[in-house]
Amino acid sequence: MDLAAKDSSMNAFQWILDKLCLTPLGLIGLIILAVGPLLPGMDQEYLIRWITLAIFIAASAIAFDLTVGYINIVNFGFNAIVGLGGYTSAILAARVGLSPWVGMFIGAFTAAVTGFLVGLLTLRHRGIFAALVTWFIGLALMGVCQKWVPLTRGMLGLRAPQLFQTSSNVPYYYMILIMMVIIFIICRWLTRSKMGLAFQAIGQNMEAARTSGINPVWYRVANFTISCALAGWLGWFYAHYIGILTPDFMHTSKTVEVLAVAYIGGRSSLWGGPFIAIPFLVSMELIRSGFSNLPGIHLVIYGLVLILVMIYYPGGVAALYYKYLAKPKNSILRFLVGYREAKEVLRRRS
Amino acid sequence: MLQAFWQKLVDWLKSAAGLTVLVTIVLTVVTTLDRGPYILVNTVVIGGMLALISVGLALIFGVLNIPMFAHGEYFMIGGLAAYAVFKPLEGLVKAGPGSLFALVAPLIAILAALVAGALAGAVTEVLAIRPLRKRARQNWVMNSFLLTVGVSVVLINAHQMILGVEFKGVDRFYSGVPLDFMGAFVSRDRVFAVILSFILIVAFWLFMGRTKTGRAIRAVSQDETGAMMVGIPLDSITMLTMAIGCALAAVAGGCLLFLYPTYPTAGMEPLYMAWFVVILVGLGNVIGALVGGFMVGLARVLTIEYIGTGWEYVVPTCLIILVLLIKPSGIFGTEVRGVLDQ
Repeated sequence: MDLAAKDSSMNAFQWILDKLCLTPLGLIGLIILAVGPLLPGMDQEYLIRWITLAIFIAASAIAFDLTVGYINIVNFGFNAIVGLGGYTSAILAARVGLSPWVGMFIGAFTAAVTGFLVGLLTLRHRGIFAALVTWFIGLALMGVCQKWVPLTRGMLGLRAPQLFQTSSNVPYYYMILIMMVIIFIICRWLTRSKMGLAFQAIGQNMEAARTSGINPVWYRVANFTISCALAGWLGWFYAHYIGILTPDFMHTSKTVEVLAVAYIGGRSSLWGGPFIAIPFLVSMELIRSGFSNLPGIHLVIYGLVLILVMIYYPGGVAALYYKYLAKPKNSILRFLVGYREAKEVLRRRS
Repeated sequence: MLQAFWQKLVDWLKSAAGLTVLVTIVLTVVTTLDRGPYILVNTVVIGGMLALISVGLALIFGVLNIPMFAHGEYFMIGGLAAYAVFKPLEGLVKAGPGSLFALVAPLIAILAALVAGALAGAVTEVLAIRPLRKRARQNWVMNSFLLTVGVSVVLINAHQMILGVEFKGVDRFYSGVPLDFMGAFVSRDRVFAVILSFILIVAFWLFMGRTKTGRAIRAVSQDETGAMMVGIPLDSITMLTMAIGCALAAVAGGCLLFLYPTYPTAGMEPLYMAWFVVILVGLGNVIGALVGGFMVGLARVLTIEYIGTGWEYVVPTCLIILVLLIKPSGIFGTEVRGVLDQ
């Protein structure tokens, strides 16, 4: 599917939505998120903070899904890369006094370069190699951040200047929401382009892709680099939102959180993670605070859900959607499902 | 005859495997002379335990093609079982040191760890991995990896939920004066751990090489369909493999209880180290994992000795990057069949 393709049967509204890679349903979801903090009863700071962090994980899950869903590589050091972007910006701000708004680009760039080098090293080999080596590189990065105390202050935590001169969470909420939409659009455009076609070919059958003249290493490294750049950008947000960075943030268990959201939402859908992130993470948070006499119960449920999804429904929520909402008979529903989505669904069905 | 043997030895020493083994031995001797015999002692203790854990990991990867992420949790379960058995007996042991009971009690604890690890492994296989195997085999390596990630999260947090986060350890298994080894004092527990790990390694070797079941396991690792055709019951072999692999990790957890008390995430570090070993020597190479355990043990001891604690993840990662650049199939090469291409 070419990005520039304009079907004659599309009206202007559909065309704009298509460029934004949204379905009317997705647009409604975004509008709900956008007006959410303004509604009465929703203006509690802790709730907005939870949802902000949930959207942060959702955005991470999109960037993570770009590699896992399309080229079938699990980046197990994902959060270390996120942390690297954050640390770069925070160190520049704290030691050189650079504005965070410039640090954003440098953080993302550092993450991209790291991703590029790691990709060159590992993506020539089998997928499991990439998963394990990114895991170790993530651990090594965490170790460096722990032990290079003069630069990173180690476990004491590095202070990062806040982005906005306010104690409210609302500006950050809108910031991460916009970032999530931008990341989503970037990933969607990529996967719709010719490059995305190559990604899918590699993910499904590497030998066949190679036979048809695709250089798998190049495309894999490109994909990995883009995903890491987005991760670095997200890290920048996290550092300047929370205000303090500790090496714990780069631990594998944090990557597992992102991975669980991406998988439960649905692999290679890109929208599945964001769709389930807020209800899932907020209910986990409620369980955690509700059962404070049983510490860790929310993570047990987390793991059980991940196991059940892996065994019984590997496609996650997105696959359920494609299965049951595939070809709505009702015309309103068909409008909501969206133009290109509906076409795509029909193609998948046939 | 002797000449032919000599020629073979020289050839082996020129290969990557021989060179690294030689370098490891030389490095051990040199650093031992430099810093004292406790380097050698620590390398042998850590290396023996690491060999046990990584042999299990390599076995499960080689036979079942599952990259276990939850292997450290069986280490933790072993520690927990040994703690649960030994803690009530500790008072009796302290009351009569030197009695037969004091000699046997730690062995009972380790046996409990072994049984608990084997049971936990078999249960995991039946409840989690077998349903996945029955449902879909495509993209198996990645899916089973993520499945074991889920198992790991559940086990760690179930431990935290039920037993809390505090350290659960014992002071010592065997009391008495430390043994004198070239001027360094080595506690009896360390000697016990080393002897036990060597006995288990030899027993495992004999089991895989000499018994019918061991041969069946190797047959499955070479060709699953072929093994099924000659009448090997696949389900029980997979269960047995998981049980053996997990039991070895659990024994290591039980043996090291005096050194590393158990707590929810106690398994993480052994897991990293065991994976370092398995990648360094080549995925799924069981014999290589035995030797590699001592190499990574040495790397760890030397890193802590010369650079400082906390860098022990950084140094093996650099080693792995080097190996990936020079010899991607690992130092000893890998013998796992090609289902892993993806």
